Amino acid sequence: MNFKFCNKRISGVLAVVPANERSFVEEMKNYNFPEARSLKLKEVMGYDTHRMVQPNVCVSDLGVFALKNLFNRGLLKPEDIDALILVTQTPDYFMPPTSNVIQGKLNLKQDLLCLDISQGCAGYVIGLIQAFMLLEQDSVRKVVLLNADVLSRRTSPKDRNIYPLIGDAASVTVVERDPQESVIHASFKMDGVRHESLIIPAGGFKLPSTPDTAILVDVGDNNMRGQDHLCMDGSAVFNFVQVEVPQIIETVLASANATMDSVDWFLCHQPNRFMLEKLADKMKVPRSKMPSNVVGRFGNSGATTLPIAMAINLTEALKTGTQRACLAGFGVGLTWAAMLMQIGKLDFCDLIDYP
Amino acid sequence: MNEFLVKLAGILEAEAVKDADDLKAFPQWDSLAVLSVIAMLDSDYGVNLHASDFQQVTTAADLWNLVQSKKRS
Repeated sequence: MNFKFCNKRISGVLAVVPANERSFVEEMKNYNFPEARSLKLKEVMGYDTHRMVQPNVCVSDLGVFALKNLFNRGLLKPEDIDALILVTQTPDYFMPPTSNVIQGKLNLKQDLLCLDISQGCAGYVIGLIQAFMLLEQDSVRKVVLLNADVLSRRTSPKDRNIYPLIGDAASVTVVERDPQESVIHASFKMDGVRHESLIIPAGGFKLPSTPDTAILVDVGDNNMRGQDHLCMDGSAVFNFVQVEVPQIIETVLASANATMDSVDWFLCHQPNRFMLEKLADKMKVPRSKMPSNVVGRFGNSGATTLPIAMAINLTEALKTGTQRACLAGFGVGLTWAAMLMQIGKLDFCDLIDYP
Repeated sequence: MNEFLVKLAGILEAEAVKDADDLKAFPQWDSLAVLSVIAMLDSDYGVNLHASDFQQVTTAADLWNLVQSKKRS
């Protein structure tokens, strides 16, 4: 499906990562694999360090911290926020929405639309689509898109398939009307038939968490995980990305009448370096135009990897000028989405630590 | 097929892989090797295999035949 938005822009991006840094090499002893093979995995996938919250840190904690930072630095006024969209797979509660919890903790005004969206690695593009739609309303002048996840809390530390790449993070993206004329194109697709490719089987109403669902089991691949834990069919996800993502990017470029060469940056969700390098090669995009350095430093925190990629690679370029960027997110659902837009000049584009 | 065997040997960190060799007998045959093979087949042969496809594969020749049949379909 293709969407088009006129005269909207991102005005600032702030990424927040936990200060608690873990290292792949230290965690290797938890895995049921020969050390040499784990080191090979590290080399191929580009794993090294990742950031994880301390136990009990919630999405609302990260979100409140991020917004307070912007308030304190005078980069955002609480009273200017007309909508707060939270995209997360790890909410504080089933009810109420975590966006309302954050509204309450920050004493934001009541003339505010709080909206939780359940999306994962495509959640940056999906969140932006929702933000742009809200800006069609006269009464909505500024939208805060908050992406946050604490997936480490639902990942088995004995699962080498997923634990080394997982990270926690939050990001705030301020979205508003563009005083200049501009057009943003978006394309996305969803496939619920493949919803089990990325899943936390237990903990919802279908299969409530019990002592049994917490038990770590080896399902035949030397990895230990419970049904409470994130489970990824790695090769299915790899094929999904290599097949679908180039096509959705082609679609969004075609709808904008844009060529690959006209794009300054391909800013993708960051599953791991290996997958992104294969993706760049397949699309015949220079690897230098597709940053892939997030997972090895911070881990894969879901939707927030995309703003983190901006904050660690493009801060100066986006604060001083404009870049034509093709964003792409892909993951749980399955969902895949791309967006072509001009980004910059941004008022802020930073990465900070959550203590 | 020679080129294919050389690529397999690279992934399995073996000196050589012959068409009758049992892939699962290589010490380096694990989930990472499977993913590396899947990626190689995608980029070099335009074939997308799933990890479960490897259940019907024993030898390097089996894998080659599977790739050829997927290419035709």
